[in-house]
Amino acid sequence: MANLLWIQAVCCGGETASLLNSDHPHLPAALRTLGATLLGHGYFHDQDTGRAEQVIEECASGKRHVDLLAVEGAVHPQAPDGSAWASAKPLAEWIRAIAQVADCTVAIGTCASFGGVMACGRNPLRATGLQFHRDQKGGLLGASFRSKMGVPVVNVPGCPAHPDWIIGTLWALRANRLDEADLDRFNRPRVFYGKLAHHACPRNEYYEFKASAAAYSQQGCLFENLGCKGTLCESDCNERLWLARTGSCTRGGFPCLSCTSPLFPDGFTPFFKTAKIGGIPTSLPLDVPKAWYVGISGLSKLACPERLRRNAVSFKPVWAGNQESNEDGPQNDRL
Amino acid sequence: MVRKTIAFSPFTRLEGDLQIRVDIENGQIVSSRASGTLYRGFETMLRGRDPLDAIVITCRVCGQCGLTHSAAAAEAIRSLLGVRMPRNARLAGNVMLAIEAILSHFTHFYLSFAPDFTEPPYCERQAQIFLPLAGSSFLRALREREALLGVLGLIAGKWPNSLAIQPGGTTRPVTASEIRRAHGLLSEYLRFVEEQVLGCELEEWLQLRSVPELERWLGSGSHAAGDLGTFAALSLRHGLTGIGSWPARFLSSGGWSGPDGETLLPPGFHDGLTREFDSARITEHVKHSWYDLRGGALPPASGETEPAPERDDAYSWAKAPRYEGQPAETGPLARLIIAQDPLIADLAKKYGPSAFVREIARLHESIRLLKQVGAWLGEVDPEEPFYQEAPQALSGTGVGLVEAPRGTLGHWLRVEEGKIQNYQIITPTGWNLSPRDSVDEPGPLETALVGVPVPDPDRPAAMAYVVKSFDPCLYCTVH
Repeated sequence: MANLLWIQAVCCGGETASLLNSDHPHLPAALRTLGATLLGHGYFHDQDTGRAEQVIEECASGKRHVDLLAVEGAVHPQAPDGSAWASAKPLAEWIRAIAQVADCTVAIGTCASFGGVMACGRNPLRATGLQFHRDQKGGLLGASFRSKMGVPVVNVPGCPAHPDWIIGTLWALRANRLDEADLDRFNRPRVFYGKLAHHACPRNEYYEFKASAAAYSQQGCLFENLGCKGTLCESDCNERLWLARTGSCTRGGFPCLSCTSPLFPDGFTPFFKTAKIGGIPTSLPLDVPKAWYVGISGLSKLACPERLRRNAVSFKPVWAGNQESNEDGPQNDRL
Repeated sequence: MVRKTIAFSPFTRLEGDLQIRVDIENGQIVSSRASGTLYRGFETMLRGRDPLDAIVITCRVCGQCGLTHSAAAAEAIRSLLGVRMPRNARLAGNVMLAIEAILSHFTHFYLSFAPDFTEPPYCERQAQIFLPLAGSSFLRALREREALLGVLGLIAGKWPNSLAIQPGGTTRPVTASEIRRAHGLLSEYLRFVEEQVLGCELEEWLQLRSVPELERWLGSGSHAAGDLGTFAALSLRHGLTGIGSWPARFLSSGGWSGPDGETLLPPGFHDGLTREFDSARITEHVKHSWYDLRGGALPPASGETEPAPERDDAYSWAKAPRYEGQPAETGPLARLIIAQDPLIADLAKKYGPSAFVREIARLHESIRLLKQVGAWLGEVDPEEPFYQEAPQALSGTGVGLVEAPRGTLGHWLRVEEGKIQNYQIITPTGWNLSPRDSVDEPGPLETALVGVPVPDPDRPAAMAYVVKSFDPCLYCTVH
């Protein structure tokens, strides 16, 4: 059995909560596919593996081999007190030491990857990610860091990360199926971060015709008015789906905030409205040229079918073909 | 007499950064100090931001009760604006928050609390069903979570960190067919609770109204073999009824407000008698916390968060919230005592607010909430709106009090020129694991630990059970 050491650093426990949400397969089976013993984690640690602080010391000294180091949460490289988790030295020091001896190191969630919410605003505590600070290489371990396997820190961002992304990345590393060529410019596995949250969003038809919701709970696209960053967010959320494959942010009716991006959260404010100049959103979809966007959206608005125009601003379906009578017509076909 | 001071940290199967320092004399704890050791600075992060940002940012205080934080932020903005949510939004909001509470309660029970009985000094064969990643009950509890998550997904889209609760209502209208799906998924989860947790139908459990009735229930049918029955037998055998009590004062802001403003579990303050709850009676003390002292004890509406890590007379990053100047316990036990739940009130009368009663209250509340989720779902009317536009919050003050899984959560907000000027958060564990206050009065856990036996400092099992019975969330506490 390999050893997977999971350290909770400056975090909220959200990655762990997300991991517990694993389904198809459920977490116990998912962990079995890794063929690894989970060490150090607040929940799964058991006494047979020794006291937590003893485990961390043995891992740092090389007495216990670490096949995979997973870190949840940002780090405070300059924290005076560190963490109660291992009070002999600041947690950032332990992570630095173990990253040198672990076969590979994985940053779980946006905070561990890029600093995320824990490093937002003025960031007086100087929280940072493991190998990135926001979109700049560096972080705790430095731009040139390579693990013993020869790869940089593999980033699995998301606030939280989808359980499939976490388990899938750990599994690929264990199975020698992931190397640097499989990572994108922010060292995220392309297989999970190579698409956009926008793909497979059920509001795509509204997007195509620029039929936009004006307020929450309406069915139209959330991009034009309500701050949705799904066309910028590199993730497969709307294809993969969350919570027993029932939902996603946009399916939940609220905007995607691009939480897998290195600049989340501050790079995506205002969160709930779309910044515009001259009526054109300033955050145009990734790799769509602005002139084309403006031209196409003007045309598509003109071409928008009445069905979409009306449904976009309605919280319940307005049926095609009976627009005239739907206000007081029977609704039993909604089942 | 030999007095020994020992610091315990981390605790097995407990998330977050908690250190408990205890003084031991003759194998018993004579005093204790609870420290939250990791500061993240959420309150200061929010200064200068758009008020709506609080929904996004505070939800990241805690991975387990983030939805409740975002609900408190939305409620604070609503209170500033003086607006209300549509009826459907209150129902959908209740469903979301109740599911978050049930998930949190069962995560606590199966991942944190019950497995301790498998380890020394207990090493109970009977507890093997709770063995992490191996015991039959542990595995099924983790598997069945999916059904409840499915209900949440249909209403909240994603979790953790759903933004479905906004000042104007909820963002996801739910259709009739989705309500049907949610009922179906809920019934799958109910089946797990009835088969495995209780060994009987929900209604049979909910009819228990006293300790003798509970004892009769434990002795009949297959109840003793259920997870709750097993836990009760192990707790009684190992004295969890006799540890963790304190001269409790209980606090609740009122849990799960219904469509017409009433609450499922009423607000109140209980110190023998139950009185009306008034958030204006809350202050926060920092004498023993790593914050600037000049404010002294402040009401949260004008609270300050100025870190002072150099203060060596302090021992926690948590502040000390007080109600009428006194420490108070919050959580499922407090809610059910204030609600005069007959079973929990009778248990507390017999065993005190002990580790056992706290844990039973948590399970009992989960069961009551499960029943209620179905009722709320049934009341949602898909033809009616879930959201109505709320104006922008430009200036004023607001307070959002919401019962989180672990107890009373409060957000206090002051806005000027459309920007947050001050933001203060008091969390459930902030109450329960508070450090000493201005007059050196210990917090609820600190008092509850006094008298707990620690025969073997390498395995402070009873002490761990008292700590865990408060279901501490250190992420929330030190925000």
